[in-house]
Amino acid sequence: MKYKLLAAIIAVIFLIGCGLSAYALLAPPQKTIEVLSDGEVIYTADLSVAPDTRFTVSYADHTNTVEIVSGAIRVSEADCPNQICVGMGWLSSAGLPIVCAPNRLVIRYAGASDVDAVAG
Amino acid sequence: MLTALALILFAVELQIPSPVPIPGVKLGLANIITVYAVYRYRWYEVAAIVLVRLVLGALFSGILTALLYSLMGSALCLVGMLVLRRVIDERHLWMASVFGALLHNTGQMAVALLLLRTPSLLLYFPFLLVSGCIAGAFTGLCAQLILPRIEKAIKRGG
Repeated sequence: MKYKLLAAIIAVIFLIGCGLSAYALLAPPQKTIEVLSDGEVIYTADLSVAPDTRFTVSYADHTNTVEIVSGAIRVSEADCPNQICVGMGWLSSAGLPIVCAPNRLVIRYAGASDVDAVAG
Repeated sequence: MLTALALILFAVELQIPSPVPIPGVKLGLANIITVYAVYRYRWYEVAAIVLVRLVLGALFSGILTALLYSLMGSALCLVGMLVLRRVIDERHLWMASVFGALLHNTGQMAVALLLLRTPSLLLYFPFLLVSGCIAGAFTGLCAQLILPRIEKAIKRGG
């Protein structure tokens, strides 16, 4: 009995996770982006007019290279083993910012700074 | 000994590129050892195993700044699992492991929100919940299968 209940709790958490994941993926992209390092905004741009560019962001001896190409932004290089932020590709969903957690780097849509804005 | 085993698993996993490019999503092979230890050792012994593994793991991978996330995640996970140990018996180990994984993800998330000051990061949380369930069940099952074998091996060895 106890274990049936626990299994049910796990199943519910799993399904809620699936549902919300789909929702997060469907959040539409916006125009302006912000790049944050260690919680501070260090760069903003309007992607619809931004020229192609490339710059590096450093934190605690580690660097990420950020790249804007024809109105899309991504992390093109990172000097870490797992390359998660590079693997995340181009920023496309307002719900899911590009994050390099160890280097405290976040690339997000400016309108997505609070969750309510994303939800609306 | 267990710390060494956990470190080996950690290092092996480090060499495999993450199939899902979402921060925090990970199989956590090393946690097979953690789950096993939680059910076999005293709380401070488990805490020591995990702490040494985390610090050495961070040194191995060269990403020292990632330590904060794993420390917080592991702390929450350990406390939770040590409580669950009283509720869930060994035959349902994998369930305890799932809850442990979910708590680990919650702890990571809390640190990330604090450090990165981006509330929209919360939208990653559902992904972490899904992956936590899967990864937790997997490592839990591994630990569950390994448990009796290790016991037998130890007895045979004297």
